[in-house]
Amino acid sequence: MISGARQAEPNWFHRMVARAMARRLNAFVVPGPDVARALGLDIEAAGLQVVDTPRHASVLLLVGELPEGLREAAAVAYAQMPRPRAVFATGTADVSPLPEPDVSVALDQASLATGIQELRRAFAEGAFAPEIEDFEAAVVQEDEEDEEEMDHGHMHHDHGGEGQEEESEEDQEDEPEEEESGEKEIGEDQLENFMSMIEMTEGMPASGDGLIMEWVPAPYGPLFPGLPGGLSLTFTLDGDTVAGTEVEPGIEGHIPVEILHGPVASIAERAAKLDPLTPVVYRWLACRAVEDASGAQISDEEALSRVGALERERAASHLGWAASFGFLIGDGSLSQRAAWLQLALLQVTNIDEVGLIKDEVEDFVRKALRTPFLGSKLGGIGTPEDGPEDAAGPVARAAGSEKDSRSEDPTYRNLGFYPIVRDGNDALARFRLRLEEIAQSLDLVLGAGAIASTDSPAGEASSGTGTSTVETPRGTATLDVTLEDGKVISAELDAPSTRNARLVEGVTVSREVADALVGVGSLDLSPWEMSR
Amino acid sequence: MTTAIVILVLLAGAYVVAVLEGWATNGRLRPAGPALDAVALLGRESVVTRSSDRIFFEVGPVLLLISALLAAAVLPLSPGLVVTDLATGALFVNMALAFVMVALVMAGWGPDGVYAMVGGWRFLGQLVGYSMLIVMPLTAVAMRAESLFTIRIVESQGALWNVIFQPLGFVLFFLAALAVCFLPPFDLPTAPGELAGGVMAEYTGARLAIMRLARMVLVVTLAVTVTVFYLGGWIGPVLPPWAWTLGKSLLVAAVMLFAGRYVPRIREEHFLQWFWKFGIPLALVNILYVGIVLLVVDK
Repeated sequence: MISGARQAEPNWFHRMVARAMARRLNAFVVPGPDVARALGLDIEAAGLQVVDTPRHASVLLLVGELPEGLREAAAVAYAQMPRPRAVFATGTADVSPLPEPDVSVALDQASLATGIQELRRAFAEGAFAPEIEDFEAAVVQEDEEDEEEMDHGHMHHDHGGEGQEEESEEDQEDEPEEEESGEKEIGEDQLENFMSMIEMTEGMPASGDGLIMEWVPAPYGPLFPGLPGGLSLTFTLDGDTVAGTEVEPGIEGHIPVEILHGPVASIAERAAKLDPLTPVVYRWLACRAVEDASGAQISDEEALSRVGALERERAASHLGWAASFGFLIGDGSLSQRAAWLQLALLQVTNIDEVGLIKDEVEDFVRKALRTPFLGSKLGGIGTPEDGPEDAAGPVARAAGSEKDSRSEDPTYRNLGFYPIVRDGNDALARFRLRLEEIAQSLDLVLGAGAIASTDSPAGEASSGTGTSTVETPRGTATLDVTLEDGKVISAELDAPSTRNARLVEGVTVSREVADALVGVGSLDLSPWEMSR
Repeated sequence: MTTAIVILVLLAGAYVVAVLEGWATNGRLRPAGPALDAVALLGRESVVTRSSDRIFFEVGPVLLLISALLAAAVLPLSPGLVVTDLATGALFVNMALAFVMVALVMAGWGPDGVYAMVGGWRFLGQLVGYSMLIVMPLTAVAMRAESLFTIRIVESQGALWNVIFQPLGFVLFFLAALAVCFLPPFDLPTAPGELAGGVMAEYTGARLAIMRLARMVLVVTLAVTVTVFYLGGWIGPVLPPWAWTLGKSLLVAAVMLFAGRYVPRIREEHFLQWFWKFGIPLALVNILYVGIVLLVVDK
């Protein structure tokens, strides 16, 4: 029996339904498909259909280690899923407060495929059971209580990736009296308690067009399909216009930068955990900081190899962004092709394979830049009210800034690097710039001639302080470390997403909700590197 | 008997359209996919949100299916294969399709969910945009046929299909048909990346199965409508008349499903702007052009 079996005495009909379900497993991915792709998982190729809402999912797919905040969000999503439902963990050790996974495998494509076969068997045999267990996580109860407190008519809506109340048909059958009273309420009480729109909106602020409407808080994330997995926003909607925005700073319980404290020899391994979307960048950043502290020099070959690995990751990251952004703006073709290329690029093992994939990527970039109606969809959207002064990376460069720490790196200069800069300061400029950077990064990879990642810092580090700066796919990241007796005793990170997150309010307020989301999406925020 | 045949054809068409939609969306052609999906959905819990407006929540999906079936009732698959040949057939199609908006607003309001609600209201705005582009091209079609009987409209295309006779009207009507079916790039009420499914987000189990079936039937109905009004309906050599209607309709449905895959979703304001500022004047030009051709050239 699976953990979320549906209550029924299994008969021939249930067995037939269970077998059909086993062949069509729909997965809601936690933290999100973007993280799964960045970790090299092709979920659909392995046999799961990715869906946009937990309501339509039969499998909750957990990808990698999840911080506490995401596990709690996952528990709420699980509670929203109709039975039969199952938990499938890939590389996730701690799943609390969720029930124990029905299938748990290692985090790689082959294990994913094997796990899905196991899951199909579990569904076919145990989707229905005479006795089932309720799922009663504290976070779900709290969420429901909050709902009840705030719930009056349509004043509060809280759906999708977040807390949700529900009752199944079985629940209703168990409580016929409550249901009857509910029906009566619709018919009579509502008429008695009818309030005019004037009464309902009395004292509320007026919209930009002078109309006074209900303002509705709408959670977007941390598991919203159109945003990066883990990113959590709350829009206050005035109709379908965003009247206010709150950004959750980072992911609750995510590994803090203090994880870098400890022996310098293994710092790269620990740094890679800081952001699952760009592990190579953080490996390099940590190694360079330690090398700066110890005064160690790396060979030209090592420097080129690091550039190759970093630029491969940048190209893959931008492709991953294009896949997510394509999904957000409804361009299915763009999204699918970008996702395929991202996975293909992450799977290459040597420089020759990069050469083989380059033509495909360039063809993709050429076609994506010629997508019809892209200008009308993205032009003028996502322009921050306060200007791009604080922005980092592609967001800044798409606003005319030449900020790019690679310009000062001799290895990059020798490879003929120049920062790509565009005007526009909107979602369209960012889209074009990132696509052009994909092609440029692959040229740099081929120029570097190697893509080996950094395993440990060079030299013998003992004591001292060091600083390193790396141009990540999202902008310049700076790390300061202090070493003592071969150990890191303090570390301070300035990550680009923290800076770009400050632009969110400016690109969302007074925008139609779709335009606001496009604005946020165009910033390419990584909630993993945002400091809490 | 005719009614049963038409309903069966619509359901079979909906199945094929579901297969095509899966192919368009995932790039995988799975003939058994919709059947497995349907069985799986029927076996799943049908969840009702706690503060739902139960009447709207229940009626929305059913009304969507009814409106699609009603519109199909006046569309002839062959000269003798039409549920009812109304004197106001072409207008009846328009009337039936008006209930699509009512159904989606109900489905949006019913679950008490913000994504669904925004999706429902979005479709109300969408209706404001596309409704004139359903009626006005139909006017030009009826002018040529000198009748609102749908059978007469097909017969009027014996010499030349309307897609050739009035190509502008065809393009406008086709775009409006995409908008009625809320297919990409006009999928504003469902918008997966923006509303996580919108009006469909809160439906599960059997209710979701009805909602999806209704949408597929709606696509088939609109494809048959395009066929009847612009592609000569059953007219064609060798094959039996019904086969021509079905073949053309499936082709139209396939184009409807695949066309929007290569462009981004239209922005709401642009939808209204373009359909009103450009669509309506062009529809008037089409009516004027058809009128002149009928009065001057055809005479």
